[in-house]
Amino acid sequence: MGVGDYIWMGILAVFQGPEAFSLFGIGISITVLMVLAGFLLGIIVGATPGLAGPMAMAISLPILISAFGFSPDALLPVMGFLIGVMKGATVGGAVPAILFNTPGTPDAYMTTLDGYPMTRAGQARKALKLAHVSSASGDTFSDIVLILCAPFLAVLVEAYLDLPEKTALLILSLAFISSVIGGSVGKGLISMGLGLLAVYIGTGEEFYPRLSFGTQALAQGFPVATAVLGVLILGEVFRALEDLWHERRATAAAAEPAQTGDQHLHWADIRRIAPYIARSAVIGTVIGALPGIGSTLAATLGYSSGARRHARKRPQAVQFGEGAPEGIAATEAANSSVSGANLIPVLSLGIPGNAAAVFLILAAESIGGFNPGPGVFKFTAETVNPELVAAFGLFTMMMLANAMNWTIGGAFMRMAGVMVRVPKPILLPAVLLLTLTAIYVQEGRMLAIWFAIGFGVLGYLMRRVGMSPLPFVIAFILGGKLEDTARQAFAATGGDAWFLFTHPIAALFMALAVLFVALSLRKPSEAQR
Amino acid sequence: MRPPETGSRANLYLALGAIGVALVLALVWVPLDSGSGLIVKVRRQVTIGDALAPTLAAGMIAIGGLLLLFQRGAEGQGGLSRANLAFLLRFLLLCAAGFAIMRWAGPLAVAGANLVSDETLSYRTLRDTAPWKYIGFFLGGTFLIAGMIVQIEGRLSRRAVVIAVLAVAALIALYDLPFDDLLLPPNGDV
Amino acid sequence: MKQFLKAAATALGLAAFATSAIASDWTPPGPIKMMIAFTAGGGADTQARLVAEDIEAKLGWQFIPEQVTGKGGMNLAMAIKDQPNDGTVIGMVVTETLGYNMRAANAGVEPSDFTAISTTAGFQMGIVSQSSKGWKTFADVVEAAKGGQEIRFGVMSPKLADLAYLLGKAQGVEFNIIQVKGGKAVMNGVMAGDMDLGFMAGIQAKGVAAGDLVNLASGLSEPLKQTPEAPTLADLGVQYNSDGYFAFIGPAGMPAEARDAIATAIADAISTEGNKSNGMITKAFGGPVVIAGDAFQVMAEKDFAAAGELMSAASE
Repeated sequence: MGVGDYIWMGILAVFQGPEAFSLFGIGISITVLMVLAGFLLGIIVGATPGLAGPMAMAISLPILISAFGFSPDALLPVMGFLIGVMKGATVGGAVPAILFNTPGTPDAYMTTLDGYPMTRAGQARKALKLAHVSSASGDTFSDIVLILCAPFLAVLVEAYLDLPEKTALLILSLAFISSVIGGSVGKGLISMGLGLLAVYIGTGEEFYPRLSFGTQALAQGFPVATAVLGVLILGEVFRALEDLWHERRATAAAAEPAQTGDQHLHWADIRRIAPYIARSAVIGTVIGALPGIGSTLAATLGYSSGARRHARKRPQAVQFGEGAPEGIAATEAANSSVSGANLIPVLSLGIPGNAAAVFLILAAESIGGFNPGPGVFKFTAETVNPELVAAFGLFTMMMLANAMNWTIGGAFMRMAGVMVRVPKPILLPAVLLLTLTAIYVQEGRMLAIWFAIGFGVLGYLMRRVGMSPLPFVIAFILGGKLEDTARQAFAATGGDAWFLFTHPIAALFMALAVLFVALSLRKPSEAQR
Repeated sequence: MRPPETGSRANLYLALGAIGVALVLALVWVPLDSGSGLIVKVRRQVTIGDALAPTLAAGMIAIGGLLLLFQRGAEGQGGLSRANLAFLLRFLLLCAAGFAIMRWAGPLAVAGANLVSDETLSYRTLRDTAPWKYIGFFLGGTFLIAGMIVQIEGRLSRRAVVIAVLAVAALIALYDLPFDDLLLPPNGDV
Repeated sequence: MKQFLKAAATALGLAAFATSAIASDWTPPGPIKMMIAFTAGGGADTQARLVAEDIEAKLGWQFIPEQVTGKGGMNLAMAIKDQPNDGTVIGMVVTETLGYNMRAANAGVEPSDFTAISTTAGFQMGIVSQSSKGWKTFADVVEAAKGGQEIRFGVMSPKLADLAYLLGKAQGVEFNIIQVKGGKAVMNGVMAGDMDLGFMAGIQAKGVAAGDLVNLASGLSEPLKQTPEAPTLADLGVQYNSDGYFAFIGPAGMPAEARDAIATAIADAISTEGNKSNGMITKAFGGPVVIAGDAFQVMAEKDFAAAGELMSAASE
């Protein structure tokens, strides 16, 4: 089994999976169909203000698992759908930003700065086309980097990192995420500590479920779905509901500017924006590869770097913020190129860097048979490593989604423009019940719904006091793994209490963790959300 | 955006709260409510006990609180107002009412049916039989969605109820019709 | 003892078939909630879901599977204890839950608080390492340990940790015992090189057949089906073993006709060739093992009583 064999098997796994139907004698695999369905849903969700990709991923997961079961065959169709949603939402987020001056996703905020002025100038269709090309380019570039980097990084990790180093690496990631997300490292650490605390309730190695007050309700701990969906999604829904509550009025219909003039995207346009796309794609990819920083910062950096270049090189042209096509390109390429690179830490280390990655990991864990982490890229010679085939299947699906993006994404994105008119007062309560029902069908008890509401309140409070909920969620996902790895490292080293500091690489990671926290103390982080 | 003073006072309260929570955790809750201490010795091998990880989590919260204490001037964002808490309370009451309807409407309907007819049905055995299984989810869900729309818009409209009914019907179609194994709320509990 | 029990069980299983005409008069009054004490997607979970599917297909009963994982099945035990005992709630655990774990948990319950319904399959518990380690049999491990090499031994339950400890003691070496959650985690640890060897309850079958893994010893009272030449724990000087089964239980006081009807349905499902559950169990666990009703109850109570002995042997 060489590398080539594995790549080929991964591609075949996607295209020759169970057949959905056949078209002109050619079987269309269910996996391909799921990628397409996810992609289209993602665009719609991204185009709807108030909805976001991770939300759709979270809610689809229980439905997908019920439909496909827990078998290894389920992995690619389910992950394909989720990857489709992730990519679709990335493109779709630009739609309301351009048409409606409301970002569909937070990272599309910068797109409003030049997109909406173009709409007011009657150039909405052109702005959408620009956004699409930029987003698709950034996304594709980022995926290529992922495919080239993740396997090597994973092989390195597996070759050089033993249990103590793996423990230290998890601590480093958590410290890094807490320091870079949100305005203050103090709040980041509190958020992370709460996430760890939540995941440690009811778990542990002793038979007594710790921190459960002896109750059955807490003995099984908090199901992952309740904590993650509660804090990430319900918290956001509560906050948005309250804002509407205080506004007490239906969203006013905005007057639509008449669209005139040449809406085509010419070669000259593409040549003009290409340098901005390239620069932003690199910025987004680098940022995306670091867990926890996220697409909002990437968009900000891409935009400001593009703005500086633009002002220097073309002082006579339309400037950023006044409806410059380059502004849309710089933003969209940057925020889209985060999504692929964000999977580098997921696939090579098992560490999620953003909400979308969290749900991909959740999906893999729920189905089983695929444990994102360095073990995936074990190139076995004699037997087939099914996880590696799945990994190349994932890469294939990402490129497939990119192909869909290039071919039909633009047209579908423009059609999804109608979604910007869905009023939030209707949408949010429906999303709330949808999320709660999704949790219930997975867990089968009312208690889980109350847990989720409780975590929703926590997420709401965090947002109100300016604390990012993402460290909480990532700590909740990684907390169990952190404790397990530490226990194993401790046992494996024969009870060496200083295992984090006596192994050189582990000690280096720990030093870096302290350094990141210290650095972010001195200088307030730029990554304010 | 609030003025910075409010924000920094909010940060102060948050920092002190975090430190307080961490102390209670590390000194009271964790030691009293864990199956083993920080480290344990079993089979002649020292291993990590159940109390260690939550104690370290408490440590993180405390460090976060301390850092925030020294940094509180730097950030002026956020803070809780009385209006926020009032909203939360109303919202939670609405949820509680909705879930109560969801949980008990079905069994009540069955009890009612038993009164009218001579049969002795039990909701438990009917929890996966239409139409019984939909009663609670339908009524509770409709109440919840319509209630929220009413709160946001400040008036009860027929549109709100129609939308709620349609949304709940869509959810039933999404989760229940295609899948045998999934139970809508509250049917896993009964 | 176990051998005798097993023979008795087979006889009883057959007897159950003979009486199935009477037992099958019972039908569940509603859908049956099937609690599963294992992570979704793993071998044990798959087994439980396939059993449900096969019974649904044949008898038209309806099952609703639900995960209640954690604490070696004790979470499930505590949850199922107070559920209705009319046959509409059953749960899948391992016999270790009712034995060692229930004893160690000291949570105020014992096997008599549950209705033993039926076992489905036995573990094929081997002590396994990667073949690239170069070890052919357990003696090579002992030699390596005596040569000063630190040996990391992966286990997935406290009972197995006790056994690993006693095994080291019997052989005059010390292992660094690493306890993880679930057989899959031991397998991953061994494959990643984080552990040198570990207990695996059947998950190793494919890797052993392919030559990537090797069964160094049997953790059972009898040789492994796949590697009959590997020594048993008794051969290695340990008088305890990890014999155990996957099993269905219910709350205490289930009516005998309900218990027997469900046991018969399960035995029928897993023993019928061509059934999904039969195929899966044969592949991963070397074939179905049915110990049903009173025989299973007696076995569980014996295991519970005997657990203390192993614990005290390993705790000095």
